[in-house]
Amino acid sequence: MRQATESNEFRRDLVSFLPKLRRFAMTLTRNAADADDLVQEACERAITRSHLWNGEGRLESWIYAMTRNLWIDEIRKRKVRTGGGTVDIADQDELTIEASGEKAVYANQLQKMILSMPEGLASVFVLVNVEGHSYREAATILNIPIGTVMSRLSTARMRLAAMISDTTERRA
Amino acid sequence: MQNTKGLSLEIRLSAYMDGEVSDAERRELEELVAHDDEARRILELLQAGTQFGNKAFEDFLHDPVPLALVRQIKQGTTASPKAERLTATAPSRHSERLWPRALAASVAMLLVGGSTGYILGMANSGPPAVTQVAAARSWLDDIADYHRIYARQEKHLVEVPAAEGEAAIRTWLASSVGVDFTIPQLAKDGLTFEGARLLVAAGKPVAQLMYRNAEGEVFAICFLKSEPIGEQGMLRESMRDDLAMVSWQKSGASYVVVGPSADASLRRLAETVSTDI
Repeated sequence: MRQATESNEFRRDLVSFLPKLRRFAMTLTRNAADADDLVQEACERAITRSHLWNGEGRLESWIYAMTRNLWIDEIRKRKVRTGGGTVDIADQDELTIEASGEKAVYANQLQKMILSMPEGLASVFVLVNVEGHSYREAATILNIPIGTVMSRLSTARMRLAAMISDTTERRA
Repeated sequence: MQNTKGLSLEIRLSAYMDGEVSDAERRELEELVAHDDEARRILELLQAGTQFGNKAFEDFLHDPVPLALVRQIKQGTTASPKAERLTATAPSRHSERLWPRALAASVAMLLVGGSTGYILGMANSGPPAVTQVAAARSWLDDIADYHRIYARQEKHLVEVPAAEGEAAIRTWLASSVGVDFTIPQLAKDGLTFEGARLLVAAGKPVAQLMYRNAEGEVFAICFLKSEPIGEQGMLRESMRDDLAMVSWQKSGASYVVVGPSADASLRRLAETVSTDI
């Protein structure tokens, strides 16, 4: 009975966390369709492994790391399918899934513009700046060095600053 | 704390903004910004980008999340969000009684108080569906707001209580809204008719029929006169924070059933209402 209650609580926490998880997934996949699939897969995995969650730290960090790992797996699979061979992601600084493919669907132009930033920038920005993770936490979630977190974050901020004038010009 | 010495000024100032540098570095950078125009310009750009990005990513939280995924997580059902990014099905005529099961499930599941807006499936909608959703959204948003307000009113849930008689309520609302209807009897679904309200949504009069279940959860049926748009009778599901909504159009009127998002059988309830009302 207690297990069932804990499971329900875990599911409840997961649902309330969905929009943030989806936003994080969007920063990885950079299109809504892939993000939804990734979120689904991450949730399924989180539920089946919920007994491994020890309740320490932030639940979202645990799920974010899981989501990021699933996305890396997906990239590997796609590369193999498209003849790119296997990829050691540790050797690859940038992930390489196009953000602005024909299938990409965005809620609005601004979202499209933001997700068109070079890969890796939006994830760091969301984790640190929007959600308040420390550099160390972000580095752990994304499995990258802290130095990379720092450089990606400053680059993301400068890119976003440059977009302000772009959006202003669009409106004019 | 990070040691940023030797890194670019952009990175150093960015880390400074986040409080990730040591006191000594912080003082050094503050001194630099105070006396160096270029450093100040970079800091201002970083701050502007941060502010812009925060707002933009905050808006992501209002994006569509597949309703089926929410249900799958809550219940562990086999519904496939991938196949159900846009849920739009014609109401079926069968009358299986899944409601009691759903009630039991909803008791166990608890309500979710997420602070988010899930709006279903804009992503894969073709032009006609987009038009319909867009046209319906304003009044549905109003209805969701009303529901949040009135569902919390223990003593004043309705404007005209059921005790005043269903015939009187029908006459009053039909003439006010311009839609003829019957009050659906949903006792078999565990819902008790509490009464009605007359609302205004999207500038039009809306009839609201209120029901309660044994747990005290409030469900509402709302409808207004409208021009026929899109396919008649198609049920469309959407979520707004902690509320689930199933809407459809029929015979020159738009209808919606509103209930807690944790309720799994809202669509089936809507199917019943769409045939009975």
